[in-house]
Formats: sequence, structure tokens, C-alpha cells
Amino acid sequence: MAEEPQTVLQLPPSSAAGGEGLTDVSPETTTPEPPSSAAVSPGTEEPAGDTKKKIDILLKAVGDTPIMKTKKWAVERTRTIQGLIDFIKKFLKLVASEQLFIYVNQSFAPSPDQEVGTLYECFGSDGKLVLHYCKSQAWG
Amino acid sequence: MTDDKDVLRDVWFGRIPTCFTLCQDEITEREAEPYYLLLPRVSYLTLVTDKVKKHFQKVMRQEDISEIWFEYEGTPLKWHYPIGLLFDLLASSSALPWNITVHFKSFPEKDLLHCPSKDAIEAHFMSCMKEADALKHKSQVINEMQKKDHKQLWMGLQNDRFDQFWAINRKLMEYPAEENGFRYIPFRIYQTTTERPFIQKLFRPVAADGQLHTLGDLLKEVCPSAVDPEAAAVIHLYSQLKHPNHLHPRKLNNSSACSSKHDYKLFGAFLKG
Repeated sequence: MAEEPQTVLQLPPSSAAGGEGLTDVSPETTTPEPPSSAAVSPGTEEPAGDTKKKIDILLKAVGDTPIMKTKKWAVERTRTIQGLIDFIKKFLKLVASEQLFIYVNQSFAPSPDQEVGTLYECFGSDGKLVLHYCKSQAWG
Repeated sequence: MTDDKDVLRDVWFGRIPTCFTLCQDEITEREAEPYYLLLPRVSYLTLVTDKVKKHFQKVMRQEDISEIWFEYEGTPLKWHYPIGLLFDLLASSSALPWNITVHFKSFPEKDLLHCPSKDAIEAHFMSCMKEADALKHKSQVINEMQKKDHKQLWMGLQNDRFDQFWAINRKLMEYPAEENGFRYIPFRIYQTTTERPFIQKLFRPVAADGQLHTLGDLLKEVCPSAVDPEAAAVIHLYSQLKHPNHLHPRKLNNSSACSSKHDYKLFGAFLKG
């Protein structure tokens, strides 16, 4: 595959308890995002303290949508759903015209400009936000 | 219960007198007159402006027309926000009518979502309803409904049918007798003083000691700067009752916002029934 200048930082998958490696989500330099999402700087350490800048997201495929090799991601709170969609599409090598839907609680599809941090606050459990993704509308 | 119904009707039938003017930059074959419309506060711009679109497209050539978008004093208007929210955030202190500029080119990709069809509006609306029920009932009530019930909610909104909408929505506003309210209150607080999007957090309607939480309690917990008398921030607090099943902030002016003398029981005044 043609490698664009990527700034994704890959931590080697950990074999310790916790399973898959956590990776930083980098900004798409070419895809415009709604203004509410902040750029993620690669290599940023999470500041100590109660409010972590990043939250953990677990991505689950629905139906015959391709499964991401890495399912667990540490994502900036201000990243938007659209930003996440663009990232997943790129990771799965989907073409831009293909649609991707993201669902919370297997019940609703948040607005593309919705921040993942807010979703985590309201719908996260066990320290992570579980999101289902699908190439077609799974839950209407 | 009767005065609650009056409040519900007042909210549903709230209107904003609006004047739509075509942007000067648009290419027209002849002069376009402004178009006046009463906008429903509880609806969405792209759902209620077909006539506006037709009116201006009559004086334009097909090749100069692409997706319509709206702007107020330089700010692109997010169609996916309820109309009343947009007005209260941006224009409530200006004289009526609300003057909105209409555009058919140079869609601001960074600021606005596209609205490809009425289906997109329906999908967005239903998603908001589902998100609210996820907070209120762990999605149990909305998931138990049939598809035709969901459709009725949407049709009620689309066709401005209060009774049609509330026949279904009332089920989403119920809670078991043994509980004192919903699991969590769906709310969003929008502030005019920041670029940040809304505040939305988990908030229980009842305190540990069984007391009903008030609006003041909510503010103190999720937006403490709002109740700081020294803060210059003007908070727009909306009570857009149950639309779309979220308590949106209601506008309070500077000092009265901070005195918090408004002891509205979240349930009694706004969400009961």
C-alpha cells in the first residue's frame, strides 16, 4: 500500500494483561474536519491528574464490515465522530465514497460533529467507550 | 397536569418571525425579494425552508445553484441544531425579524454538515431521540416501540402535529412509579462565550437523600462558572422542553442567572408528564 507521510505512532502490541496495544490517533492532514475537533499531537503523554486528555475507545465491527486489527485506541477527547470515521475508513482502506456508520450502545448514531469525550462521559463503561461501526445502517 | 399541557403546547408552537435575504454574491437573473416566514422553534432549518429555496431558485440559473445553506451575521447556521436554539444563541438580543442570509454556493465545509435529503434530517432527529432515551431509560422504551411509532414521532415533527407527536412521546416521558424520575436527565448547555460545543454529562434527577434536583443544582454541578456572580459569561439556558427530548439551556440574563433563585424542580416544572 502506498504510504503517505503518516504520523500514526504505533506502540508494539502488548502481550501483558490488557491485550492489544493502545495507539495514538493522528489527525488526517488532508481531510477537513468540523472545527470542534482538535488536532492530536503524536507522542503526547497523558497528563497526570483526574481529567485524562485521552479516552479509551473499543471498536467493534458489525455484520460483514472488515474487522480492525487494532480494536483498542486512545483518542483525544475533542476528536469528533467524523474524525474517527475518517480514521477507520483509512485504516480499513475503504474508498472515500463508501459510507461508515458509528453507533453508541448499539442504538444511536451520534452526529458527526459530536466529540468522543462527551460520549465517553455519558455512555462509557469500565473505563472505555465501546463503538460499533458498520458500512450500512445497522440500527437505523 | 393541565398547565403542563399548556407549557408543552407553548413550546411546540413557538415561532420566530424570520426574513430570508439572498446573499449579494449569488448570481441572479433578476432582483430577488426577501422572503418572510414564521419558523417553528422546535424544528430544523432544512426541514421548513422548501418554500424559501423555491422562491430564490426562481431567479437563478440551475448551474449557479448547489446546496442551500444559511448564515446570520457571518455565522453559518447549523441545520442540525433546533431553530429555537440557533436563534437564542445568536440573535435573541436583536430586533425582530431574524434576518437570515441564504446561500447557494461556497458551502462552508468546515462549519456545517451537509444535508443531502429529508432522510438525513429524520435520521438525525431519531438519533437524538434515541440518545435521550438511552439516558432516561437505558433505551428500553424507545427500543420496545415499533417502527411505526418512530415514524409517527418524525411525522408529527415534520407536519407540525402536536397530538400526533405527543401520542408517542408521552411514553418516552414516563418513568416507573417506584422511581422518582428518569435514570439521567438529557440536557445540553450551550454557552455563547466559548467556541466549545455543548456541555453534556450524566446527571440524576434525584439526590442521594431523595430530594429532587433543581435547575440550580444542575448548573452548579456541570457549569459552575454560570453561577458565579463575578463571571461575565452570559449563559443561554434553554428549556426547550423535551426537544428533541433534551433539556436545552434556557436563556437567563447576567445577574439573574447567577442568583439562582429559580428553584425549578427539574421534574415539577419542566419534565413532569
